[in-house]
Amino acid sequence: MSTIAETAPRSQARRRVRIDGWRWGGRIFLAFMLLYTALPMIWMLITSIKSGFAAMQFPPQWWPDQPTLASYEKLLDPQNSVGQDFLRFFWNSLFVSTTTTILSVIVAVPAAYAFSRFTFPGRNFLFFAVLLRNMFPAVIFLVPLFILMRAIGLVNTHGSLILTYLTFGLPLAIWLLKGFYDNIPVQLEQAARIDGATRFQAFVLIVMPLSTPGIIATAIYSFIGAWNEYIYAYTFLSKNEQLTLPVGIQRFFSENTTDFPGLMAASFMMSVPVVVLFLLLQRYFVRALTEGAVKH
Amino acid sequence: MTILTGKAETSRRLRPEGSGLLRKIWEHRADYAYVLPAIAVMLIVIAYPIYYTIELSFFNTPPGLQLRDKIFVGLNNYTAILTSPVFWTVTRNTLIWTAGSTLISFVLGFASALALHRDFVGRGILRAILIIPWVISAVAASYIWKWIYHSDFGIIGAVLVGLGLADRPPNFIDSVNTVLPSLIVVNIWREFPFAMIMMMAGLQTVPDQLLRAAKVDGANAWQRFWHVTFPHLRNVSTVTILLLAVANFNSFIIPWIMTGGGPSNASHIWITHIYELAFGRQRWGVASAYSVLLFLILMSLGYFYVRALSGNERKDGSA
Repeated sequence: MSTIAETAPRSQARRRVRIDGWRWGGRIFLAFMLLYTALPMIWMLITSIKSGFAAMQFPPQWWPDQPTLASYEKLLDPQNSVGQDFLRFFWNSLFVSTTTTILSVIVAVPAAYAFSRFTFPGRNFLFFAVLLRNMFPAVIFLVPLFILMRAIGLVNTHGSLILTYLTFGLPLAIWLLKGFYDNIPVQLEQAARIDGATRFQAFVLIVMPLSTPGIIATAIYSFIGAWNEYIYAYTFLSKNEQLTLPVGIQRFFSENTTDFPGLMAASFMMSVPVVVLFLLLQRYFVRALTEGAVKH
Repeated sequence: MTILTGKAETSRRLRPEGSGLLRKIWEHRADYAYVLPAIAVMLIVIAYPIYYTIELSFFNTPPGLQLRDKIFVGLNNYTAILTSPVFWTVTRNTLIWTAGSTLISFVLGFASALALHRDFVGRGILRAILIIPWVISAVAASYIWKWIYHSDFGIIGAVLVGLGLADRPPNFIDSVNTVLPSLIVVNIWREFPFAMIMMMAGLQTVPDQLLRAAKVDGANAWQRFWHVTFPHLRNVSTVTILLLAVANFNSFIIPWIMTGGGPSNASHIWITHIYELAFGRQRWGVASAYSVLLFLILMSLGYFYVRALSGNERKDGSA
């Protein structure tokens, strides 16, 4: 947020000169976008506090006559079979996403640093090979990966998901981080090395702290990607107790197609962790995109 | 960065001549250690699957047969695909889906970024709200919109009936004519924030002096945008549009969860169709051949992608 707020004085100078038509056009447009974005989410929340009976009415109750938290209680109650499943899916998602995030940072940091600092033969080729990965859809990899995972005994384990998410999250992670390293003056490291630090010490003590925002952005990106991933989890996992949230919710509600309040409550709770995480850390993310992807 | 490259070049020039590629690789052997983990993971999870897909595309795998008992059929899978009417339906849908989602997401995202560029009360909150759809899972988004489009209890239908615009709630996603546009609306809902973030980042790089100079020279708001702001954003725009296009071309979750490709293939796009062929009908050979075709299309898109990205690099003088 702060990065963008810094431009405020500049844009204020321009505000005076812009003709009012543009400003009002912009405001009306933003109001329209706000409605487009927010109304579906508001309707999700309103539906989630209705009873199953109240949701199935025409015309709909714009605000429920008897708001109830029953759907949430059901999902969060460990005594109840629905709640047991939901909490287990939630825990599985948390485990897979957190592990993926930690591993991505560990693998992406040295790679991005090397792409930024060293000029070894094949550097550009490898860098673009890494980026090209982004181009290919999950489906292309599904069948062979499934066979591969079966061969190394990872089918029906969270390991298969972690390995896959790690690979598919790496290209953008490396790209974002490389932008950060490009902007850290190499003289800082050189100064540290003159003072007797090894390359590794200079990296850990000087470069790492300066690139923390980039690392945070990379971590958010990996976490959100892993949390929301559906197609691999849908294909690799079949045991109910291992499912992650997106697949678990889909399985559950393909059996209970009419429980829309429950479905909306589950969708809401599935969104909470990533939305909160993103809102707390969004300034790093926007900054990482600015430094890494845009400002070249 | 420029300083860094300059230094590296000088030091290289000081070294004795006659260093072949092997020697260079040997000299930089320690550098590879940094990239090795990333490359190793990618080789296992990417290179092998690509090889296997290409191989499988030349074989027939009747359902109920073990995969290792596949039958070699040469190019039959490819000719079967190109002559089937479903292929053309699906291709048409994919084009409409990709072009529609990409262009509208980009325009809405760019316009939002411009409108949010000036400071006003509540700008931070508004921006955060607009980004949320991009963060939440596509599965959740699909269910939310499925409920909004519901043919009996959907809110859009109820509003249309309430305003007297329709006699009964329309069937948005159960009708061949409306299903694809309805799904595109959902996709744009999730995707325009990405274009918005990218363009917001891009807008910060437009030098303010130029805008002021243009103003002094008497350029109006539109001229300033068209002649100063926009040219500066050409690179970001290219990258954003390409990333959106690739993501849309590869999308799966929204059509798969909301309609499963139906009714009568009206919302099947390439990826959902491939998935159904492989995991639904067990026709791995045909699905692989589809994947190879897709791969070729994406490689040509990839050419522009790399060019756009390396264009950025070259300006910097580092690549």
